[in-house]
Amino acid sequence: MSDPAGAIGEQDVLALLADLDRELIGLAPVKRRIRDVAALLVVDSARRSQGLPVAPPGLHMCFTGNPGTGKTTVALKMASILHRLGYARKGHLVAVTRDDLVGQYIGHTAPKTREVLKRAMGGVLFIDEAYYLYRPENERDYGQEAIEILLQVMENQREDLVVILAGYKDRMARFFESNPGLSSRIAHHIDFPDYSGEELMRIADLMLQQMGYRFDDAARAAFGQYLKARMKQAHFANARSVRNALDRARLRHASRLFGAIAGADRDALSTISAQDILASRVLQAAEDGAHHT
Amino acid sequence: MGASGHTQQMDISKRYTAGVLKYAQMGYWQPAYEPKESDVLALFRITPQEGVDPEEAAAAVAGESSTATWTVVWTDRLTACENYRAKAYKVEPVPNNPLQYFAWIAYELDLFEEGSIANLTASIIGNVFSFKPLKAARLEDMRLPLAYVKTFRGPPTGIVVERERLDKFGRPLLGATTKPKLGLSGKNYGRVVYEALKGGLDFVKDDENINSQAFMHWRDRFLYCMEAVNRAAAATGEIKGHYLNVTAGTMEEMYQRAEFARELASVIVMVDLVVGWTAIQSLSNWCRDNDMILHMHRAGHGTYTRQKSHGVSFRVIAKWLRLAGVDHLHAGTAVGKLEGDPMTVQGYYAVCRESVTPVELPRGLFFRQDWGGMRKVMPVASGGIHAGQMHQLLDLFGDDVVLQFGGGTIGHPMGIQAGATANRVALEATVLARNEGRDIRHEGPDILASAARHCKPLQAALDTWKDVTFNYASTDTSDFVPTPSVS
Amino acid sequence: MRVTQGAFSFLPDLTDQQIKAQVEYCLRNNWAVSVEYTDDIHPRNTYWEMFGMPMFDLHDAAGVMLEINACRKTYPRHYVRVNAFDSTLGWETIRLSFLVNRPLEEPGFRLRRLEAQGRVQRYAIEPYATDQPPGHRY
Repeated sequence: MSDPAGAIGEQDVLALLADLDRELIGLAPVKRRIRDVAALLVVDSARRSQGLPVAPPGLHMCFTGNPGTGKTTVALKMASILHRLGYARKGHLVAVTRDDLVGQYIGHTAPKTREVLKRAMGGVLFIDEAYYLYRPENERDYGQEAIEILLQVMENQREDLVVILAGYKDRMARFFESNPGLSSRIAHHIDFPDYSGEELMRIADLMLQQMGYRFDDAARAAFGQYLKARMKQAHFANARSVRNALDRARLRHASRLFGAIAGADRDALSTISAQDILASRVLQAAEDGAHHT
Repeated sequence: MGASGHTQQMDISKRYTAGVLKYAQMGYWQPAYEPKESDVLALFRITPQEGVDPEEAAAAVAGESSTATWTVVWTDRLTACENYRAKAYKVEPVPNNPLQYFAWIAYELDLFEEGSIANLTASIIGNVFSFKPLKAARLEDMRLPLAYVKTFRGPPTGIVVERERLDKFGRPLLGATTKPKLGLSGKNYGRVVYEALKGGLDFVKDDENINSQAFMHWRDRFLYCMEAVNRAAAATGEIKGHYLNVTAGTMEEMYQRAEFARELASVIVMVDLVVGWTAIQSLSNWCRDNDMILHMHRAGHGTYTRQKSHGVSFRVIAKWLRLAGVDHLHAGTAVGKLEGDPMTVQGYYAVCRESVTPVELPRGLFFRQDWGGMRKVMPVASGGIHAGQMHQLLDLFGDDVVLQFGGGTIGHPMGIQAGATANRVALEATVLARNEGRDIRHEGPDILASAARHCKPLQAALDTWKDVTFNYASTDTSDFVPTPSVS
Repeated sequence: MRVTQGAFSFLPDLTDQQIKAQVEYCLRNNWAVSVEYTDDIHPRNTYWEMFGMPMFDLHDAAGVMLEINACRKTYPRHYVRVNAFDSTLGWETIRLSFLVNRPLEEPGFRLRRLEAQGRVQRYAIEPYATDQPPGHRY
């Protein structure tokens, strides 16, 4: 399974890591782990040419972290990364949740789970919020059956399939306590920390660039203020919250231009200015808070 | 062209005055005509006599294959004659050949009887080829409109159903013609059939001139062949067949032979092209009604298909036969003992097998032919081929073909069964390798050599025939060579 | 004897590696792969038992190998074959079929002859194994 027809070398790995750095902001622990796995592949290839024994590495992973920290994004990328490194034959991704694996009645689960596994072979199986597979309070729950089948395949067909679980850190920890067999088969437990303010700013720039917009200088400063305030509030969802904020800014931008859209030039159509940010309730609340104290 | 008075259609008031006019003046040359979806189109390769204008020659072909006669006739005016006149609408010189021209001619659909190849051929080629102002003429290709295609039943079985009946998928079928061609009695003939089928072939075949002669009456042959077929089927667990030739002197006699083949539970019968278009269509209908696969041997075609300058191209014959309704058709080997340039032969295969035969000038396909869901004909490659060429054959023709190795089976040094086994092992090994993604065109000999290590008969076949090739310059190649693309 | 049905029966029995390669070929062509088994090997017996549903939308042969091995494990003394189905217009049929398992002993076929009029015989082929009821044949 490892090592495609053309052996991958250090240059290819460096190119891959450079691409990754460009496309993903922050996520240092993830990038470190990927670098290690890639390095192992190159070393294995060198060992093989020296006649040394080579054993395929464990590749099953578990991503834990708060919402919006990049777990799903990285899982999607992982399939093509593993394919480029030669660990995944086909490099496609099959993303499922509990309902895709577990059936509603006796005998329904096993074929359902096996179907999903067959479709995922040669690539990556991504199970989001995997802890929902285990419902100890319901004795008629069929999730355990799916877990058994998963365990077997994860152990016996490591060259055919890579499994990535994802979810909240604490719930995942509880899930693993009740299913130690599953935990022991995961080679890479990777935590996705919350982004720093500076990283979130860079994410915002990247998102805007992808949408064809840009901040002017005042807007960027305003957004920095916005982030500081928002991060203190409840239910902050990292990159997802940034995306939502940017969408709201676009709406305000559109409202601002309304009435003079036909005359607007390219620049006006794509520049977010400070007022589009400052109108946010988050900043009003912060101001009020500041006034009260 | 068309500035001179000779090539303009004559003013209508003067057109029907008695006398002799040029064909172009009579209205058979229409350069502005746009062919309709419902027109029958024909492409002729014409060599006009010295001093004859190419447009006039084309117009003459159009005229003589539709309504014209050598002098003006008043009775034309009793008809809507513009409707019945064929129209030559385009003339182009043949590349690299100053004496020849391609002439495109369009015919109204009304000119033809539905479901009748006899009528189609009588119309298009019935008159024109003996015409003096042409030194030579060849019907190069035709486009049959979908409306006309739909009036024919087409192949009674077709590739898909044949495979389902035989339960054989994923590889070419294998056959052989019994040898010697003539002289064996029924019982000894059946021995050859048994040995070849048991050894691994799917079919054995009567030769085209094996009908019913003093040395072997047809009923004896049928009885002994079916004995061989059934014994071989029991010995292998496969469905086997022998093409029982029902060609005879009269249609009644043909039906009698076909009925007997059915009574003996044969899966397939065969007929020779020389029985004629009408007989072929009748027999095809009979085969459809009796679940019989129909194998067509193109006996005699070489007299008129082989020379590029004159005759009818085999691709047109193949089109007519698909419409008339045959299931197997000999279409050339490209690498065997009989005439056939590889590109041109692949063109014939495309006529047989595609749902829509595309335009491909290097393969001699001049028109897009929509077959309207008509079943597909299985081409047959037969004539001087042997196991050592298996990779070339598979590479050229793919899976949906019958490969026939007459001499290559029966002439095997270890006997007929060994010959059949050698061919079957060579075929399966090459197909296996091709599916794995290997380049059989270049690695073929290695693949065969490697398979021969487990199969002595194959080793013997390769040793015996490894130097046999038939490399002569082909007489019928495409005028259009693909220019290499800049990469 | 050795029943020579399927596309590769004249070659030595395929290894798992070779079977995988053939399945990959089928998947590259977007054919649906299915596994069937039987103990009635008469050549006109076209409806073998289906082992699971035909597998559409697979990307890799590993999933198919799971099913093949499960079938061979469950029915070690049956004939097992792999079919590849092409649903494109103008085909809508099987494009490849080959055996991946056969019983250790293959007794072959009895050829029954019934004399009819003239020199005509009515032939029937019967697998010797079908003298036994299903499940007890090999």
